[in-house]
Amino acid sequence: MADERKVAEAKPKVSLDTWAVLLAFVLALLVRAGVLQHVAW
Amino acid sequence: MATTAAVAVRSENANWFVRVARLIPGILLLAAIGIVGKWLEQSINGYTKAHHIVFPNIEYVLWAIVIGLAIGNLVKVPAIFQPGIDTYEFWLKAGIVLLGSRFVLADILKLGGISLLLVFIEIGGSLLLMTALGRAFGLRPKLINLLAIGSAVCGVSAIIAAKGAIDADDEDSSFAIAAILALGAISLLVFPLVGHAIHLSDHGYGLWAGLAVDNTAEASAAGALFSDAAGKVAVLTKTCRNALIGFVVLGYAIYWTRKGQAGAIGNKAAFLWQKFPKFVLGFLVISAAVSLGFFSKGQVTDLANLSRWAFLLTFAGVGLRTNFRALSKQGLKPFAVGVMGEVLIAVLTLGLVVGANRIWTL
Repeated sequence: MADERKVAEAKPKVSLDTWAVLLAFVLALLVRAGVLQHVAW
Repeated sequence: MATTAAVAVRSENANWFVRVARLIPGILLLAAIGIVGKWLEQSINGYTKAHHIVFPNIEYVLWAIVIGLAIGNLVKVPAIFQPGIDTYEFWLKAGIVLLGSRFVLADILKLGGISLLLVFIEIGGSLLLMTALGRAFGLRPKLINLLAIGSAVCGVSAIIAAKGAIDADDEDSSFAIAAILALGAISLLVFPLVGHAIHLSDHGYGLWAGLAVDNTAEASAAGALFSDAAGKVAVLTKTCRNALIGFVVLGYAIYWTRKGQAGAIGNKAAFLWQKFPKFVLGFLVISAAVSLGFFSKGQVTDLANLSRWAFLLTFAGVGLRTNFRALSKQGLKPFAVGVMGEVLIAVLTLGLVVGANRIWTL
């Protein structure tokens, strides 16, 4: 029982994939809102 | 009781903060390597142009990888940098989502349609080839499967996804991962040279790199080493391959479950969703938003530049985590099978690309 709980706790709720998508969407929204402007390269 | 809950929340927040803080040194190292690479590209270009010297343009991608390789293999990188270095895949995925801004949906449908057709042929051919080679060399069945999945679909992620699904040994999966990573590093050097030698177009080369190079980071880098346009196509093609990861892994999982050597699969739709790379959806969402005029022209440029920055961190990470000493410690047989299989897959996919070019003029 305790082991099961440990496994459940260790498992991340949101995958790395999803975090990456969320970050990209937040950046896109910041660009759309004009908060991020003229990103240089 | 309420106090205990408040303490638990505070401790969770503190843990989260510590975890994020631990990433910072490594991310700064990735950024420093990438920026030095970018500076070298611009400085050398500026110097050669100013002095009328004919010199090939060496992209920042190559500099970032080479500097990363040099640091990772010649110096013992302090452990404090490791968590941040490991974020290179996170930046890769965020970069791919933002790269969606550089594709109009119609392009994705056209190029993605061609890519998908070739991807189906590539996956079928690669699975058959690797399985035949693995059997001929007497490798263990699950190691053969991992090598086949890694070379057919998408490198390390596919191997990790398949490992759990078919209950493969840790040893087999580390063999397969090492072989795929070593071959990815070799392809970074070989693919651009071959592409230029046989005068492939940007589209043709990008398609080839996306079909034949296994790991997404290396496929993107191999494409970008040829040209910016080739890098775009390589990422799109590789993304099509990634999208099929769940189906291939599910097929193998069902096979091993029927043999009684892997855990049963409950809901197949849930399994497919769990294995499906979510960044593929993010890429399509951003592309759809751009196609529908949600962003102005200047904002699309900003998104494309953000994607370039994310890739810059990725390419630095590709160099840093490629450790030749660790790779050479892995078994020779799986590596030999991998090399032979990859060479054959590269030839097969090059044939596919040349054939597709005759039909659709890529």
